[in-house]
Amino acid sequence: MGFIFKGVTTTKLLLQEEQIIAGLRAKDRKTTEYLYEKYSRALYAVISRIITDQDIAEEVFHDSFIKITRKIDSYEESKGRLYTWMANICRNSAIDKLRSKELSQSAKTNTIDDFVYELESQSGTMDHVDGIGVKELMNQLNDDQKFIIEYIYFKGYTHSEVSEEFDIPLGTVKSRVRAAIQVLKKNLDKI
Amino acid sequence: MDIQSYIASGKLELFLLGELNEREREEVLALARKYPEIQKELDALEETMFAFDQKTGPVPSSKVKDKIFASLESEFKAAETPKGRASETKVVSLSPWKSYAAAASIVAVLASAAAIFYATKYYEKDQQFTALLQEQSVMADNLNQVKFEYEQKDVIVEKLVAGDFKRVELKVGGLEIQKDAEVDVFWDKNAQEVFIAVNNLNELSDEYDYQLWAIGSNGPIGIGLVTSGQKLTFQQMNSVSDAGVFAITIEPKGGSQKPTLDKLVVIGDVT
Repeated sequence: MGFIFKGVTTTKLLLQEEQIIAGLRAKDRKTTEYLYEKYSRALYAVISRIITDQDIAEEVFHDSFIKITRKIDSYEESKGRLYTWMANICRNSAIDKLRSKELSQSAKTNTIDDFVYELESQSGTMDHVDGIGVKELMNQLNDDQKFIIEYIYFKGYTHSEVSEEFDIPLGTVKSRVRAAIQVLKKNLDKI
Repeated sequence: MDIQSYIASGKLELFLLGELNEREREEVLALARKYPEIQKELDALEETMFAFDQKTGPVPSSKVKDKIFASLESEFKAAETPKGRASETKVVSLSPWKSYAAAASIVAVLASAAAIFYATKYYEKDQQFTALLQEQSVMADNLNQVKFEYEQKDVIVEKLVAGDFKRVELKVGGLEIQKDAEVDVFWDKNAQEVFIAVNNLNELSDEYDYQLWAIGSNGPIGIGLVTSGQKLTFQQMNSVSDAGVFAITIEPKGGSQKPTLDKLVVIGDVT
């Protein structure tokens, strides 16, 4: 089809969110490829933070991406941005997998250190992530913030689970999540 | 409301993490629509979360990309052919978003019900309209009929007033076939015109007619059939110039050449 690309000659395409959504709804191949190029790394990160095993993480990513393209008709623009919707699908799939019988028997839950270690041990890809950069970013967080980020981002806990399990008031969990993300926001440019 | 403390509460972060319930989500969305500051913060936070995910994760291997596009191949192919569009729609309708499916089917049922309701209404109204049209055309016909009769009567009255009519009372004859029969004949000898006014004549069965006779020097001449039903109205009969007696007999349907004298109902002399 490629109707969206008609008349566009620049090699570096920048599609608006509405165009991406329309293209996905039309099952347009090029739009799907664009979506993959733009978001696959971030979405895979959401999953691989929670699931340490690369094969399983990729399997969950595969299923999540397929789910995104198939569920796009039920996505409502008025209920939030596209990335948030996609990231939530990935996050929920990863959490489901983590808690499934298949994984809970053998796999251990992730920690920031494990994750950084994994990043550092990977090599050979051009987009290799600097594990030291991530480690430094995390070091900007104080202990409370680091704890929150670890449980929510790397162990797949919900904020109410953190509150219940560690007996931290919900309001405190929320404000620590906010504080941690503010720190990340300030320091993201450095990596 | 205190926008800053709402932002500081961390609710927007939980919104983006997908950890709010439906009611809380709606609240955030409503406030973001109302307060540009909240929308701006929401956008900024989403940017941060995307940047964090983008910058801290490894790239998925190329084999997972190949696998994804192989899985989607049939859907792209289907969409590239016109026939595929139908199956694409089908996939959507089968997707497990039950609430949407339920809502859609409720809407569909309601829409169908409404369609049937209004179609029925329309059909009823259409029929009523047709019936009214028919009624109106019948009334128009009736009116024309009345007009025609009125004009006829007008002509008759004019003739009666302008002419020189002699009234001849016809009374029950000796046979007394109908004791209360009573008919008046009006005859203008010069104009040779005859009218008849039935005061009382019994209804006849379908095989018989009343026939008026003018009996002159040449014997009885039939001058028309009398409609017994139309009482107290004038009927114009055939013209006659010579008559001493008028009489009405009962004759077989359509009338006879000669009167059946044993069925003589009324008779009257021209005085």
